[in-house]
Amino acid sequence: MTASLSAATLGIVLVALGFGALLLRRSLIWKLLGLNVASGGAILFLVALSHRPGARPPLMGYPEGVPSADPLPQALVLTAIVIHFATLALSLAYAISLTERLHTQETGRLEEAAEEEMER
Amino acid sequence: MTAAVAGIAGYFVLGILGFLVPWARALSAGALLVGTVAYALWFPGFPTGYLGLGDWAIPWRGDILAASFWGLSLFLHLILLVHQEGGRPQHYYALVTLLFGTVLSTVLSQDIFNLYVSLELTSLIAFLLVGIEGKPAQVWASLKYLILTSCGMIFYLLGVGFVYAETETLSLVRLSSSAPAMAPGLRLGIALLLTGAAAKGGVFFYALWLPVAHGYAPAPVSALLSSLVVKMGIVALARISAAFGIGEVLVALGLVTGFLGILHMFWEKKLKVFLAYSTMSQLGYVLLGFGLGAWEGAVAYAVAHGLFKALLFLAAGEAEREAKSHLIPRHVGRISGETRALLGLGALAIMGVPPLAGYAAKGLITAVAPPWVKGVLIALSLGTAASFARLLVLPLGEGPKFEIRHPALWVLVAAVAGTGIWGLVSFPGIALPRALLTALLVSAAGITMGWPFSRLSARLPRWHLEEALLALLFASLALLLFQFLSG
Repeated sequence: MTASLSAATLGIVLVALGFGALLLRRSLIWKLLGLNVASGGAILFLVALSHRPGARPPLMGYPEGVPSADPLPQALVLTAIVIHFATLALSLAYAISLTERLHTQETGRLEEAAEEEMER
Repeated sequence: MTAAVAGIAGYFVLGILGFLVPWARALSAGALLVGTVAYALWFPGFPTGYLGLGDWAIPWRGDILAASFWGLSLFLHLILLVHQEGGRPQHYYALVTLLFGTVLSTVLSQDIFNLYVSLELTSLIAFLLVGIEGKPAQVWASLKYLILTSCGMIFYLLGVGFVYAETETLSLVRLSSSAPAMAPGLRLGIALLLTGAAAKGGVFFYALWLPVAHGYAPAPVSALLSSLVVKMGIVALARISAAFGIGEVLVALGLVTGFLGILHMFWEKKLKVFLAYSTMSQLGYVLLGFGLGAWEGAVAYAVAHGLFKALLFLAAGEAEREAKSHLIPRHVGRISGETRALLGLGALAIMGVPPLAGYAAKGLITAVAPPWVKGVLIALSLGTAASFARLLVLPLGEGPKFEIRHPALWVLVAAVAGTGIWGLVSFPGIALPRALLTALLVSAAGITMGWPFSRLSARLPRWHLEEALLALLFASLALLLFQFLSG
């Protein structure tokens, strides 16, 4: 396996940055953005794995004989991107619904409001 | 295998059609029919097969685990279709149909990435179902569920990358037959995969979204989540650990989740959150079973828990409606005789009182456990009985008198008793008088212990979003250390 090390490292750094935002920011929107950066990092990591030095893209129509990049991680990444898109869309829709009803985006207050609602 | 694929395809097509037409409930019943026929066709042969072409094919295997989960899913689908509890929008039935379809496909999968897609799909549908009534508490619970499982699945995705980089395959069949050398990269990858599956599968510290998501969701959705959806993460844990031969990790996770779940149950006032913590603790039995290699016992426990936890959650939904409150103390004297009976029967089943389903399944795990695990299992049973003693108080209060209004729930009771008796008849080893007496004594001792415990008070962490996330990060580090230090 001759993955692109720099890109793989960058992917892992992005995951760490995303998690940092998730932990440290109080606003829901910031947290969701952090989550999205982290999933982007995971995707970049998978793409980096398929890289081979001097390789052609794994597509038809490129000259035969030259080694191609590994197509499998790229296929996985396409699926993962679709899933992350759906998750992000849903989470933003929920964030809008919460902001409209409770008039705050601070997660601590949202959590308290939810608990209050259930303590009846 | 064609039959199983056709059954799953039927579920997906009818589920999606359900969004377009105003009679999704009828389509859902149609999907159940298709699924049952498919099950009858594939189940007897325990077939294995591939989906797709050549090297890229995804291996599927119909083993005892898959067969049991198909049976459980189809039965619960029937119960949810028959059980009437107020009007539900039609897209609720469409989503439920899709959720059952993804469960049916997840349990057959033998491919790491196919498992990832299936797990994400069950989560996405579950997020929609938790928030389906649109109450702010439910939307928040769903969002917390979404954020924490997504973090888990990011770990899983990184794990897929590491395992693929080391072994050049994602097929669990190929991985288990080739037994790759445990290079550091592979150990890291496995730890990440297990973290992701544990975050999805309701293991304590990894999945602290579970108390609110299962506790705040509408009752039938809670039943579905506890009975089936968290088990998909457990199935992934079992499949991955079996392929790499690392059962001891599951034993460790099972011990942690078993006892910490019980600890939180003692001081939880909300009925459904209480049941949610109980799910975390019950998963401990299933993980111990899988970790010790007692597959039949673990699968039996997963199915038994699926049946009685569905019963408990559906009965809890009735109790909350009747008492107009989420809190256990306010239910005393306000709920109907039927609901009290159903909650009481569910509590007895979860304690492992023979002949109900819980006893037989516990017996199958205990039969293969080494002596120290037998002690742990008895301690877990004591704790479960002590914490559920609080639900046995409910029948004592006065309240409206007994009248059967929910026949579907009594069918569920019959299934809990029926599977238990079937287990006792087909495995005579667990029906010995001594074992039966021990189980009764342990339950009685546990219930007695429950009284003093209910007088104590304690301050336990509330597991807000940041705390839950930190717990997940630290627990993933712990798993990593475990992977590197064990063998």
